[in-house]
Amino acid sequence: MITMEALQEVFRDIFDDEELIIHEETNSDDIEDWDSLVHIQLLVTIEKRFGIKFTTQEVAHLQNVGEMLQVINSKIVSSDV
Amino acid sequence: MDKYTDYSELLNDSMKYARKLKKNPVTSKDGSETVRIAVLGSYSIQFFVMVLRYLLYLEDVQTDIYEGEYNGINMNVFDQDSPFYQFRPEIVIILPYHSDIVIKPSLFEGENEIQKKVESFVATYDQIWEKLNAHLTCHVLQANFVIPPIKKLGCLESNSIYSDTHFLKRINLEFEKRRPENVTIIDMEELASNVGKYQWFNYSSYFLSKSGFDIKFIGLAVREFVTPILALRGKIRKCLVLDLDNTLWGGVVSEEGCQGITIDQNSAEGEAYRAFQQYILDLKSRGVILAVCSKNEEKIAKEPFEKNENMLIKLSDVSCFIANWDDKVTNVNRIAEKLNIGVDSLVFVDDNPVERQLIKDFLPSVLVVDLPIDVAGYCLALEREKAFDWIQITPEDLSRSSSYRENVLRDKLRLSFDSYEEYLKNLEMTGKVSVLTKEYVGRFVQLINKSNQFNLRTKRYCEADVMNMMGNDDYCLLYVQLKDKYTDYGLISCVILKKQEDVCFIDTWLMSCRVLKRDVEKMVCGKIAEQAARWGLKYVLGEYVPSKKNGMVKELFPNLGFEKMPVSEENPQGIERYLLNLDSKPEWNYSIKLS
Repeated sequence: MITMEALQEVFRDIFDDEELIIHEETNSDDIEDWDSLVHIQLLVTIEKRFGIKFTTQEVAHLQNVGEMLQVINSKIVSSDV
Repeated sequence: MDKYTDYSELLNDSMKYARKLKKNPVTSKDGSETVRIAVLGSYSIQFFVMVLRYLLYLEDVQTDIYEGEYNGINMNVFDQDSPFYQFRPEIVIILPYHSDIVIKPSLFEGENEIQKKVESFVATYDQIWEKLNAHLTCHVLQANFVIPPIKKLGCLESNSIYSDTHFLKRINLEFEKRRPENVTIIDMEELASNVGKYQWFNYSSYFLSKSGFDIKFIGLAVREFVTPILALRGKIRKCLVLDLDNTLWGGVVSEEGCQGITIDQNSAEGEAYRAFQQYILDLKSRGVILAVCSKNEEKIAKEPFEKNENMLIKLSDVSCFIANWDDKVTNVNRIAEKLNIGVDSLVFVDDNPVERQLIKDFLPSVLVVDLPIDVAGYCLALEREKAFDWIQITPEDLSRSSSYRENVLRDKLRLSFDSYEEYLKNLEMTGKVSVLTKEYVGRFVQLINKSNQFNLRTKRYCEADVMNMMGNDDYCLLYVQLKDKYTDYGLISCVILKKQEDVCFIDTWLMSCRVLKRDVEKMVCGKIAEQAARWGLKYVLGEYVPSKKNGMVKELFPNLGFEKMPVSEENPQGIERYLLNLDSKPEWNYSIKLS
């Protein structure tokens, strides 16, 4: 199970901000530097760090951090089985 | 290698660097110039540009990068008023994508039709390169096409002239054949093949963000462009420094004896070491200098070369052989000194990780190859470092190794003379100073971009720059050739003079370090004075722009009889200017016969 804290670490790393706080509803409107380029970087780092792969459909539909976390954990759970 | 393959770290560091720059834009530090690079591509290039800027910064190259729009090759090149031309890039990177090629052969189409289609597509690139040449003075780094792993004809793709695969291969081949001199083809097809097409192509990221390839390879892809950019600026490596035991042969020669080392064809291990030696010889044959640095008694270290018939590398292949019990840091420095090249042009190869770490710690500018434990992997490990990616190879490169050996003969000769002047006379040198012609432009430009020590202003020019100056009557470009009774050095000095009102300005004056202390500069100075007189000018103006490496020419102008001029107060770079008045009819003496 990947926690919000673990995901927050990734965000803090990418945005170079140790005090950054994210929650379920956070999306690109809330963080100034979060443009399309950073978005790709975020996904690439998440994929590498948690050992998962987002599908095209999943990426296209992500609305906020909460959904991101849901998708990440759906992949971690299924690999345990 | 890690800095190119750890893509996640690389992206994050590049992004942090980009953010840092946004907050504090950098102005060029200590006189180093900013290179203007334009990147144009058919797919998304933002990450490419971001990583390019960062990797060049790590190599101490400041850049100003113009980022073309998505699908922006034609729209920038064919619009004379575009900001692209106003930006005046010195280097243009072009990144096409296979989907750019719309008209492909149809099923069963014949050779004539296919040839016409190849011609029609490649002609658009002839026009692109022509347009760039017409409006800019630049060097183009042109990526070729990566052929996708989707084969609609199945195995017949490689057996039918009308297949898409065949068509793309022909286009890539035409690129190689038809590129103008200032265009270098960057083989992305080769890189993609090496990493594996199934890995290279990431269709998800293509559909989501129009990425040309999987972001995993961003470091390796950008590196293909970083090495030629560095080469164009003279930052290349020239010499391979080799350990002996368990690097060139299996075993320790002081224990096994010169016939007991493993270098024969009867074992897999022997074959592996032979393959490595052959690879090294192949590098030497195209101009890489070989040096040996071994912890051994010299006599014992040399024995295999002299007596073991299975050795492929001979003593005559090695330009500098050092075997003693001193530490390798001292020895590597000695090698650089003896060969008269910078420590930063060395590549260090040693099977011992302790020795490698020592060099990494104390000589960080040396490229250290991390050899794998398995000798079978040596060739590929060295190959993947891309240590000797030069922008061109000239005949002078090929004779370099033997020239360094002939130095030994000259050193012996010098010991037999009482005065240095007598020694110089006895060398029977002949020199020739000529106006630059097209056939020597390649070597001329190579020397301009490689010379760091005997280089008064460290101005770098590309071939296009030089061709422009050759066509301009206000410039006079001279090249100098030198021979002595042992060696023909070929082209060893470059001079660019500019007629500026009433002075003859020395824009460029540099010389290869192999011919120092021969009074060549006196001969050249005489010719510079002659040209100034031909132009009807009374003065020759020389400038010394100090750099980290050119301390040796600080006193060149005073030694040649020039007068130092007063400097303005605002002179952060410490530039010194010197004037020679031709009315005083200056003369220079040298023991070189002019031909």
